[in-house]
Order: sequence, then structure tokens, then C-alpha cells
Amino acid sequence: MKQTGAIALNTFKETIRDRVLAIIVLFALLMIVGSLWLGSISLGEEGRVMKDFGLVAVTFFGLVVAAFIAAGLIHKEIEKRTVFVLFSKPVSRAAFIAGKFLGLALTMAVVVAGMGLFLFLVAWVIDGSPTWMVLAAIGLIYLQLLVIVAVTIFFSTFGSAILASVLGICVFVAGQLSTNVLSLTRLGENAVTEALSWVVFVLIPNFTAVDVKPAVVGEQAADWGSIGSWCVYLVAYVVAVLLLATWVFRRREF
Amino acid sequence: MGRGLTRRVALIVVFLVCAVVVVRYQTTQSTAESRIGQPFVPSPKFFLDFSPSYRATIADAYWLQTIQYYGEHVQTDQKYDRLKPMLDLVSTLSPHFERAYLFGAYALLDAGLGNDAYRLLERGFARNPKAWTLATNAGILIYSYGPEDVKRDVATGWFEKAAAVPNAPLYVSRIAARLLGEGGEVQKATALWAELYATGDKYSRERALAGLDDVLPTNAAARREALEKVRDLMAPTTFQELVKALVAG
Amino acid sequence: MRTALNVTGLHKTVIVGFRRRRVEILRGVDLAVESNEVFGLLGPNGAGKTTTIKVVLGLMKPTSGQVELGVSSLERVGYLPENPYFYSYLSGREFLGFCGSLFSFAPSMRRERVNALLGDVGLGDAADTQLRKYSKGMLQRIGIAQALVNDPGLVLLDEPMTGLDPIGRLKVKRLIQRLHDEDKTVLFNSHIMSDVEELCTHIGIMSNGVVVWTGTVAEALDQAPTLEAFFMKTVESAS
Repeated sequence: MKQTGAIALNTFKETIRDRVLAIIVLFALLMIVGSLWLGSISLGEEGRVMKDFGLVAVTFFGLVVAAFIAAGLIHKEIEKRTVFVLFSKPVSRAAFIAGKFLGLALTMAVVVAGMGLFLFLVAWVIDGSPTWMVLAAIGLIYLQLLVIVAVTIFFSTFGSAILASVLGICVFVAGQLSTNVLSLTRLGENAVTEALSWVVFVLIPNFTAVDVKPAVVGEQAADWGSIGSWCVYLVAYVVAVLLLATWVFRRREF
Repeated sequence: MGRGLTRRVALIVVFLVCAVVVVRYQTTQSTAESRIGQPFVPSPKFFLDFSPSYRATIADAYWLQTIQYYGEHVQTDQKYDRLKPMLDLVSTLSPHFERAYLFGAYALLDAGLGNDAYRLLERGFARNPKAWTLATNAGILIYSYGPEDVKRDVATGWFEKAAAVPNAPLYVSRIAARLLGEGGEVQKATALWAELYATGDKYSRERALAGLDDVLPTNAAARREALEKVRDLMAPTTFQELVKALVAG
Repeated sequence: MRTALNVTGLHKTVIVGFRRRRVEILRGVDLAVESNEVFGLLGPNGAGKTTTIKVVLGLMKPTSGQVELGVSSLERVGYLPENPYFYSYLSGREFLGFCGSLFSFAPSMRRERVNALLGDVGLGDAADTQLRKYSKGMLQRIGIAQALVNDPGLVLLDEPMTGLDPIGRLKVKRLIQRLHDEDKTVLFNSHIMSDVEELCTHIGIMSNGVVVWTGTVAEALDQAPTLEAFFMKTVESAS
């Protein structure tokens, strides 16, 4: 646990100091501000448009950070041979993977919280009152991004950094189409197709189970029960993927 | 070693628990309400203005959605509110996508939107004048479901158009010829049957002979006179054979 | 005399290239290093010295053979890799602190140890400078410091003198001598025969994935005028 914490803190220091991160966050903030302009041509629906596009900005830029930085975490250590320093000490592969994940999760928390808070405050100014659901939506976006971090780390344990980041983004897109895959499982035409669809449906993360946007823009009340079980699912998914990554990484030699 | 083994077992247990949670969550996803039920279908104009490079891709994405949507509702409530806009979008963004017109027409027919089905095929053939299948199916549709007073004539027109397409199969010409004959357009029917006789396979020649026998006057001289009008449509020997087969004596 | 490190029949085969060619790097390495020895592991490039160390540390798994560490675990082992590279965004102090935190000793002890080591390797003044600003020699010295942060019983140093100026080399030699005086076991690879002759109590010569000779430095010098001559003779006769 101690090693995990040390590696996590080290990873946090490494990633938060990355200048590219600052540029990405800057662009995200610009996009949020830009969505205000879109709101101005929305016939009185500035708040709604601004929140919607703002959440898209947070998701998009958060995804860029998640996929590209996560992909480099392990590769950098191997390329720069700092793995020799690490694994010559009593550090397990599990602690390493967990530490890398937690470190980047902490960085992502700072980044997403920063963007989210900015969005929340701007929305407050526009609407004249706070929309607390924006914070809940940001929290759910954060969880989804953690899934992508975990998945990208998994791919980076055996693939190149570029491959891992591309696959991470593909998994994100696939996760957005989860419902479509579910409908394939109900075609009832061919047992093989159905079985395969089920396998794919279970393997890809389900990012469509809950939609909080209607609650964010005030169209309907949030279903906290569904949100809660979705969160449990996402956390379980992250843990399972990280354990798989550990299992693969154990077999890696340096 | 003992501690290492314990830790390994613990990690395996944690993995299994998480895997069970994930699988269980996914397998209990609600089947009651399908998101496909109410797909978002913007106007085609939106995409024509917005994304010239990706029209075909968007059309394909909506095509997949259309099939899913239709299949979903065929099995459940038989309500197809979004079918027409989806097909309009696909066919506008991908105007040469023949399959979309064909499938779409029959799906619309199923949905009780016969007029829309017909218009879809009409539009499809206008954009794809070499697609004999679209013309043929328009003819079948109107003949099967159209108003009694016009269906034969309109269908005949479609089959004529289809038959005029260079690589259209022979049966299309046979149908066109048959309809023309039944509709009293003897000259056109005769010409089409004669063409079939001259260029068709054995079966088509037999049908052509039967068809000509039906439309031509029974009187030998009148028959011979009518046949003279189609002499130029075939080789002299073939023409002689045709006359011999149809005119006694 | 306890054995600090015992390697028996170590084989290591790796699969390389697109065609998945099997290459045997270690062909039955037998090596015994007793406690408190300063053991020089010599050999031409590609002999398998670094691979042997990696297998000992668990960075690679042996295809067959056994490794027994006289110390309890990696908690009591220190390692300096060849041409080390560390986390450039950390300062010297932060880096040693991070390495120390990977072991199980108290934070206060860790701080004391880090400060002492920074002084020992002559980096007290540069302790709070980021590693990206360190020279090669400074990086080598911080590398040695991180290998000693846990007060190891067994210290493995891969080319510890690389990139060091004469003063730096002297400091490292004194450090190795001190480790020996503190009853620690040191194993190091080096191509610099004069250093090996000066510092080592025992040497082992590897060639083509096997250890072809082990013994004391005195025994080697009995058989040749210089250690270098002995090394050349042994490697040539082995191949």
C-alpha cells in the first residue's frame, strides 16, 4: 500500500507538471466560454446550451488527457529505464499499476474538477442560480474517464503508447454505442451472433446506461438509484481492468 | 511465499467479484425501453450544409439505425413514426444507395405508408435511371396496391421503363409486354414480344410466341401485316421462323 | 562466512525479432558471492553480466536455474543500473525521498538517511535542484545514493564509474571501500581493470553466457602480470 501511495504521488507530480496538460485545460476553458456565444443564438436558452456544450468540452478534453497521458505512463518508465530503479526495490507489479492509475486519477480529478467548477460557476452566472446537477454530471464524466485511463493503461502493458491511446479512444466511442450493441443481442436470428454480441456488450464499458443531461438542463429529476448502481458498475469495471493489466504486466520482462 | 500466495489469491477474488458485478449489471440492462425507439433524425438539409465530406458515413450510420428501428418495432408495437424521416435522410445523403430505396419502400408499405413507399421508389429511379429494380418494384407496388382505375397503366409505364434499361432481365420485358397487351396497346406489346423472341432464351421465346398469339389478330393476313412492323427488330431468318410459327399456312 | 548471493545453473533464453528467434543469453551461470566480498563481475560486452544481475533482481525470470539471496529480500538489496536515468522533474532530495518511501522504514529515518547520503555522494548543494539539470557525473552519484538509501546488505552496481571525473571516481571508490568496511557485500560490473584491481577482493569472469573463472584478485595476478592480461587470456581460452 505504501509503495502504491509513493508511486501515485510521484505520478501525480509527473503528470500535473506537464505543460501539455495546461494547454489542454486552457482550450477546454476557451470552449466553455465559446459555448456562451452559441448560447447567445439559442433564443433564450443560453443556460441549457452552455451547460450541454460545456459538458461536451469537459468530456472531450478530459478524454484527450486520459488517453494520451495514460498511454505514456508505463512506456516512459520502460523507455527511460526507470523501471530498473523501481523493480529492483520491493515494489510489486500490482503496486506499480495501481500507483500509476491512482496518480493519474488524482491529476484527472484536479483537471476535471477545475474545468467542472469553471463550468458550474459560469452556468451560475448565466442562470442566476446554481445548478448542482452540473457537479454530479462532472462527477460521472470523471468516472467514465477513469475507465478510459484504466483501459489505456491495460493496452499499454503490451502495446505501444500510440496504439494504447488510439484503442483507449476507440473504447470510449464503443462505450457510447453500448445500447446499439445491446439491441444486437436481441435480434434472435443466430445464436452465434447473439452470443458474440453479448460478449462484446459485457466487455465494452457501458457509457449509455444513465443520461443525466435532462436532469442538468432541468427537464427531469435525477434517478439517483440508477446513477448509484452505474457508479458501482464503473468502479468494478476499473478494478477488473487494472487487475487484468497487472496480470499482463507481470509477464513483462525488462 | 505464503504472503505472496495469499495476496495473489486475494487479487483473484477481487477480480472475480468485480467481473461478476460488471457482467450482472450488463445482463440486467432493461430490455423494456429501447433507445432506438425514438432516434433523433435531423433534416437532411442540416447535413448537406454541414458536412459535405461525411454524407455517406452519416447515411450509413442512419441506415443501420433504420434497420434496427424497423426490426425493433416490427417485433413490438408496429409503430414506425420515424421511419419515413430516416429513409428520407439516408436517401438524400446517399442518393445512389439502391438498397435503401428497395428495403425502405417495403418497410413503409408495412407501416401502412403505401404512398410514401411509392414516392420513395419514384425518387430513387429518378436519381438512378439505370436501376431497373427500382422501376420494377414501383410497378409491382402500384399494380398490387394502387387505385383500380390507374394501376394497370401506371404499372405498365414502370415496367416499360425498367425493360428499357440495358441489363434488365428478360422477365421484366415479359411483364411489360403482357401488361401492354392487356391494356390494349397492341403495337407496343407486339414490339416488345418480338424483341424478346429475337433476343431471349428458349423460355422467353416460348412466352413471346404465346404473348404474340394473344395480342395479334386471329386473321392470318392481318396477323402477317402486324408482324411486318417488327421485321426490322430481328434477323431475316429469325423473322421467317416467327412468321411460320404464328401464321398458319 | 555466509553466502550473500548464490546462483546455480542459471539459463536464460529470450525470443527476439519478428521471426521469434530463440537466443540463449545465459548458458548455465554458476556464481557464489560470500558476505562482505567486493566482487567484480567482468566480461566482454554481451557476455551476460547485466542479464545475470537482472535475473538476480527479478527484473527477468530465469528459463531454469536458481538464485538464492543471502539477504532477506529486495528490502536489503541496492541496485545502480548502467547509464541510469531518473525522474527529471524531481529534485535530488525528492528523488531519494521517493526511493526511500518504497521501503518500509519510518519517514523521519528516511529524511535522515537522505540527507546523509546526499552529503556522502557530494550532492548536498544540489539537493534541491531538479535532476534534469544534473550533469552525467551528478546523475551517476545520485544513482549510487538511491542504491544505498535502504542501507542494503547486498549492493549491485552496474558500471558505477561511468561518466565520473577523477574526483567523482575517488568518492565512489571510497564509498565502496566504506561499504566493505561496514560488512556489506558489493558486486559490480566494470571494464576499468585498475578500479577492479584496487577495490575487489574477488572477481568472476563471464564469457558467452557462462562464468569461466572465479577467484581472488591475488590468484588472478599470480597467473598474469596484470589483471587485464589475465582477463584477456581467460576470455580467449574460453572462446
